Amino acid sequence: MMSDDEDMSYDDDEYPPYDDDDDQGDYDLEEAESSRGWDEDGGSGELVEFSLLSGRDIRARVDAAISEISSFLSVSNEAALVLLCKHGWNVSRIHEEWFSDEAKIRKSSGLTVPEDSSGGAEVRGKGTFFCGICLENYVHNNSINCSAVTAACGHVYCENCWRTYVNTAIIDGAGSLFLRCPEPSCRASVAGMINSLASDENRGKYEDHVLRSFVESKKTIKYCPAPGCEFAIECLIGDGSNCKVCDYEVTCNCSYRLCWNCSEEAHSPVDCETVAKWILKRNSEAENTNWILANTKPCPKCKKWIQKNQGCMHMTCPAPCKFEFCWLCTGPWSEHGEKTGGFYSCNVYQEAKRNCEYNEQERIREMAKNSLQRYTHYYERWNSNRLSRKKVMADLDELPARILDKLSDIHRLTKSELQIITDAWVQVAECRRVLMWSYAYGYYLPENYDQAKKKFFEYLQGEAEFTLEKLHSLVEEELLKHTEEGASSGEYLRLQNNVFYLTRNTRDYFQNLVRALANGLQS
Amino acid sequence: MQQSRARLFKEYKEVQREKSADPDIQLVCDDSNIFKWNALIKGPSETPFEGGVFQLAFSVPEQYPLQPPQVRFLTKIFHPNVHFKTGEICLDILKNAWSPAWTLQSVCRAIIALMAHPEPDSPLNCDSGNLLRSGDIRGYQSMARMYTRLAAMPKKG
Ligand SMILES: [Zn+2]
Ligand SMILES: [Zn+2]
Ligand SMILES: [Zn+2]
Ligand SMILES: [Zn+2]
Ligand SMILES: [Zn+2]
Ligand SMILES: [Zn+2]
Ligand SMILES: [Zn+2]
Repeated sequence: MMSDDEDMSYDDDEYPPYDDDDDQGDYDLEEAESSRGWDEDGGSGELVEFSLLSGRDIRARVDAAISEISSFLSVSNEAALVLLCKHGWNVSRIHEEWFSDEAKIRKSSGLTVPEDSSGGAEVRGKGTFFCGICLENYVHNNSINCSAVTAACGHVYCENCWRTYVNTAIIDGAGSLFLRCPEPSCRASVAGMINSLASDENRGKYEDHVLRSFVESKKTIKYCPAPGCEFAIECLIGDGSNCKVCDYEVTCNCSYRLCWNCSEEAHSPVDCETVAKWILKRNSEAENTNWILANTKPCPKCKKWIQKNQGCMHMTCPAPCKFEFCWLCTGPWSEHGEKTGGFYSCNVYQEAKRNCEYNEQERIREMAKNSLQRYTHYYERWNSNRLSRKKVMADLDELPARILDKLSDIHRLTKSELQIITDAWVQVAECRRVLMWSYAYGYYLPENYDQAKKKFFEYLQGEAEFTLEKLHSLVEEELLKHTEEGASSGEYLRLQNNVFYLTRNTRDYFQNLVRALANGLQS
Repeated sequence: MQQSRARLFKEYKEVQREKSADPDIQLVCDDSNIFKWNALIKGPSETPFEGGVFQLAFSVPEQYPLQPPQVRFLTKIFHPNVHFKTGEICLDILKNAWSPAWTLQSVCRAIIALMAHPEPDSPLNCDSGNLLRSGDIRGYQSMARMYTRLAAMPKKG
């Protein structure tokens, strides 16, 4: 059954369609569509809609916000940027605070200096000066290639020290967005100097911090977690209150398919919570359980479990997320400071602790109860499907060169015939993913669960797995025999026909499984 | 590394030159390692630390002064922001509020200021922090004074 909800079916460009140079075959789009995965029919009350944002798209929004603030408040672009970063890119909040108490917002953002002098670094050419960083006295003459650079606030350091200061801050992280004058008693923003003092490479990094700061401030935008991917995904409609897990699955431009809700790779039919529990379980079985439990928390932005490294409460999620947050309250680090009671304390946490919201100990006890043996049973099956899927995904990339081209040469196939094979591989990959998570689902079924339902689940899982194994061996092993020179085309066509129907069957079995899990195994 | 060495050497010369500039601070560099320093600071007056002399140990990173030195008390001290067992200090300028314009000398001054103005929230020494937070100033002062006498004053006799 096809639903007309486009977001639940694979997009046409999700997997690059096999493309050969001659554009002869008008291949049957509809047949191809319907055999790529399946659609969830009915059920979901809400619509979820996504759009993909490239680095350039994000930059355009950043620029729009900057120019809105700078023109409205008559401040420089650099000052506007500092205000935006400092206030979660909330333009109306900045307007409000600015017009209710300009002096206050200027002070908290380090914009105490008159605008006319914030043009950036000024290189002074006369006299002597003392640099408070290298502690060197400089006399300006041409033999010393170190000149004085004065910040807008009037504080002078030597050019070398300024450059190192600015560049190190940028390499250090997003803190460079709030870079202040090194003079301890001053702390005026020196954002206006970044452009002239940062190296080309670090200017790019700074730009990256700016874009990330923007994306992190938006609840509806998330970066794609695939390594090296610069795209972000914006959720246009749907707040998750009534949506099913699968509604939040979205395919990035880089072809990575993720769950927007928890940022893990797409994981239907199980929900985000099960995935998080399972991943934690898996990590903690691999290492010292208690230590991990006491020292890991999910990143509030991307939901990946990350470890507390040192004593410091300032946590930074690894790339690509790079979100900085407070270990105690898991709130964004950028909001810590005066508002949360200064550097020393996190009021948010103190408050929550009073309300007993933190039950680390409870989790530890819960984990210890589960017997290792039972876990191992499910883990092994989960993992073997995971590995199998990984291999299928890799094979899929090489499918044209390794198999399709040969089949096409030997048996003179049309595009739509070749599509049958690609579709079968895509189906196998998708089913491996579902099967993998169905084992996590099975693991979390309570011991005292309704026996009839449990049987029903195991029956559906068994059927699905059986057809999948058949299809998988057909496309992985049998198919190869038909790529050799002189293979019979008649036999190949018989196989192709089998593949076509088995793909369809497999899809149906898995559809049943997914539907049953979504309905809580009501038969 | 080269830069940090040069900068520390400057600080060393400065300390030699102005030995008597700040009578409350005495900074000494390790004979064989310019990245290791010790300091003796006087407890600020009108605090329970008055009359005591406290020893600090500095360990300077190679990225100094872009990164802050690690400082801890070697002398036992009862203070909310100093770990009672390890002497570890919680001070913003030694962490995220660090600026390369701070020197070892000015860090010592900041620590003296911290001794006079403890921050009882999120303490490293909970007993001490709790006394202050519950408003038991006298209890805090008497504990702090006792430890100053036990650990930071020359033994009589
Ligand atoms: Zn300098
Ligand atoms: Zn300044
Ligand atoms: Zn991507
Ligand atoms: Zn999820
Ligand atoms: Zn993260
Ligand atoms: Zn810290
Ligand atoms: Zn916090």
